[in-house]
Amino acid sequence: MPEYIRSGSVEEAVGLIAEHGSSLWIMGGGTIVMQVLESGADYWQYIMGLDGLALDGIERANGSWRLGATATATQIRAQPDLPALAAAARMVGGPALQNAATVGGNIYARSPQGDLAVVLLALDARLHLATADGEQAPSLGEFYDDWEAAGRTPPGLLTAIEFAEPAGEVVFMKCGRRRFNSASVISVAVNVAQKDGKVTEARIALCGAGPHAQRCAAAEEAILGGKLDDAAIARAAAAAAAACAPVTDTVASEWYRRRMVGVYLRRALAQLA
Amino acid sequence: MALKDLKIVGKSVRLRDLDTHVRGQTTYYEDVRIPRMLHLKMYRSPHPHAKILKIDTTEAAKQPGVVCVLTHEDMPGKKTFTPLAAIGVAPEDEPILAFDKVRWKGEPIAAVVAESEAAAKAAAPKVKVTFEELPAVFDVEEALKAEAPIVTPWGKNYYQYPDDHAASQIRYGDVERAFAEADHIVEDKYQTKPIEHAPLETTGCVAKPEGNGRYTVYTNIQALYFALDNTAAIVGLSPAKLRFVGGTVGGGFGGKVDIQVEPIATLAAIKTKRPVKYKYSREDEMRVSSTRAAWRIYVKDGVMNDGRIVARKITTYQDAGAYIRLSSYGTMKHAGHMPGPYTIPNVSVDAYCVFTNRPPSSAMRGFGVMSGSYAIELQMDKIAAVTGVDPWQLRLINAYRNGDMKAHRKAADDAALVETIQAAAQLAGQALPADFAAMSSDDRKGG
Amino acid sequence: MTTKVLRLNVNGEDTLVPVGPMATLQEVLRDKLELTSVKVGCAQGGCGSCSVLIDGELRLACLTPAEAADGCTVTTLEGLNESNSIVPIQQSFIENYAAQCGFCTPGMLVATKALLERNPKPSRDEIIEALSGNLCRCTGYLPIIKAVEDAAAALSGKQSA
Repeated sequence: MPEYIRSGSVEEAVGLIAEHGSSLWIMGGGTIVMQVLESGADYWQYIMGLDGLALDGIERANGSWRLGATATATQIRAQPDLPALAAAARMVGGPALQNAATVGGNIYARSPQGDLAVVLLALDARLHLATADGEQAPSLGEFYDDWEAAGRTPPGLLTAIEFAEPAGEVVFMKCGRRRFNSASVISVAVNVAQKDGKVTEARIALCGAGPHAQRCAAAEEAILGGKLDDAAIARAAAAAAAACAPVTDTVASEWYRRRMVGVYLRRALAQLA
Repeated sequence: MALKDLKIVGKSVRLRDLDTHVRGQTTYYEDVRIPRMLHLKMYRSPHPHAKILKIDTTEAAKQPGVVCVLTHEDMPGKKTFTPLAAIGVAPEDEPILAFDKVRWKGEPIAAVVAESEAAAKAAAPKVKVTFEELPAVFDVEEALKAEAPIVTPWGKNYYQYPDDHAASQIRYGDVERAFAEADHIVEDKYQTKPIEHAPLETTGCVAKPEGNGRYTVYTNIQALYFALDNTAAIVGLSPAKLRFVGGTVGGGFGGKVDIQVEPIATLAAIKTKRPVKYKYSREDEMRVSSTRAAWRIYVKDGVMNDGRIVARKITTYQDAGAYIRLSSYGTMKHAGHMPGPYTIPNVSVDAYCVFTNRPPSSAMRGFGVMSGSYAIELQMDKIAAVTGVDPWQLRLINAYRNGDMKAHRKAADDAALVETIQAAAQLAGQALPADFAAMSSDDRKGG
Repeated sequence: MTTKVLRLNVNGEDTLVPVGPMATLQEVLRDKLELTSVKVGCAQGGCGSCSVLIDGELRLACLTPAEAADGCTVTTLEGLNESNSIVPIQQSFIENYAAQCGFCTPGMLVATKALLERNPKPSRDEIIEALSGNLCRCTGYLPIIKAVEDAAAALSGKQSA
């Protein structure tokens, strides 16, 4: 079994990450790490907990939000001014799990987990990563590209997630197997700004439709610049269903997920039309 | 006896253990504290069908904390069993630990016993088994084809009922003649899937040597004395040397009758002279504990315009998975349930208990019966659609009455379907025509 | 194998517990402290049968490394049994026949206690959501929900009286 370690500061944590590389796994609330350990995986020598680093603050200032990496789903669902993110937080397991699950951990969750990440993509969030080479601040999309390229080794310690007060309307929808505490079939998040009856900005993100939550450029292009009418929404839904790459697992089949991507994206966009 | 004279029927009875349930003081098998307990984890087959060429436990035995590794070579006597042998189910087809072959993915091969659960879990994957993979079969009808891979030791992929019957059968009247005379033939194919019981408490037991040649086994088995007898026979002890302590089961639903953990835990306790706990992980429970069987059911009915079913022919296949367990019994129950609670003068049933390379299926609440009802009642709705007879009325027309001869040649004497349907119609707000509302199980007036 | 010694306050008592690497709080509570109301249904956060309160907050003992709870206050059903506030909840579970095999019951009671502390007058939907992490495989959800409704009424009645 790996050893549980804590660090006294972000600097120390970054040092431990650099020192131990892939033999160290960072644990937020433990909802993923502990499950994987229970399954018998033994790749790690160290599990680094983040308790005591006080990374769980939620701040709103100067038109922007900053969520500490260990802010829990319970903290986030209590934010009335972030309705889409709060709605997603409410869908992360049951209450006991929400008390443990962190927003930072959700970024690293394997699809179809990642209900918070899908909203953060739609919000065009930026990550704050403390690394041995200083702070990095990639967008969440850039982060996923780099992370995949690096074989899913985190570049450093995720300390916070930041995003601007959304200009448009943000909607999160999840297709689950039951009303509460359901594994995800898929989830969608849309952030659309409209002016003079035209879509001026569109961010559409899907979860459960690829290896991690991701934006769907094809669907965004389908609605950008025009009126958000039934035809445009249908085009976006069809484009997303065609472009996505879901998996088959015990929760749902690839076929069903693909269908639900289209259905839920249509329903989400229809709320903004 | 009048309802008012009944002391229990019609009244809610409080569970005796509710008081301890709500205080967390109910004792389940693993709440018994036993010092110096060892833990057992199983190395299981990664293949659905393969020959075992070699089992090498050397490396596993060397892992930290490992006390011993048991294989079929450690069995003192017989290497196979079947849980219902005492009531005539045969042959004893299921290895306690696999030796020559594995027949399903997850079949137990080597038991790793260690000082801690973590040590046992870490060491179990270190067992090395050399396999020669064999073609596998996963479909009941494929399994009955001549060219199918042979799953069972006796060379046929079906359970052999007495007198070498390939199926549990019913023959009553003449279905073919009735089909020829019927106004409609309604036929279809129905399929159910395996269902895992998923009890909240996983299967497990602790076997404890008492130091005087006796062993106490704390277990959540649902079949305590079947487990005791089978364990005694497998470990080579007189049943008098074993004491099985059951009690509150944390959810069973039929999923804890298969005697999968007690014999091997007891054997490990005998070998190590220490208490041994063998508990399924949640993953084990979902992957390797038996399920409700999947069934494929073909129903062909001859029906008259007025809704009377004059003939029913059923060919049905239970997927028993790799071993018998309770499946041959389930197939008989299934056949016994046919043709449903309806009086049909011509009936033919062939119910096959088929072996495939799937995980063994076994008991689950009403096994054999629920799948039969599922097919029969869908078929009844189909008949209603074909004949245009209202589905409520269709069932009332055909329902058993007392005195009717069933296909099994036993007269119905406890019929209650008419009254049940009438009560259900009332609850559902479904008005029945006066003659149907006046029907009774005691006669066939109006029907 | 390194053993660490943790300081926990469990059910009101300060206690020092030696733990091995990555031992779960579930193992510590059950195996070391013999608090067997903490059940092991899945050990992976899926069933809620190991629900406990950590610093008053509803948590799953199986997903909590014991070392992460170092210095914390932990309450199991055994600890709640000593408090008067749990009695109306227990009584309501009994009166509503809200337990069958009983394996989920301790977790249900701890989750109910956590809900009613936070929200003394929950709606039916709020009860369903609050217990959504606690599975009952005997499928006794309706009496359980009713039991929580009745317990909430009994407790808030008492408070207003």
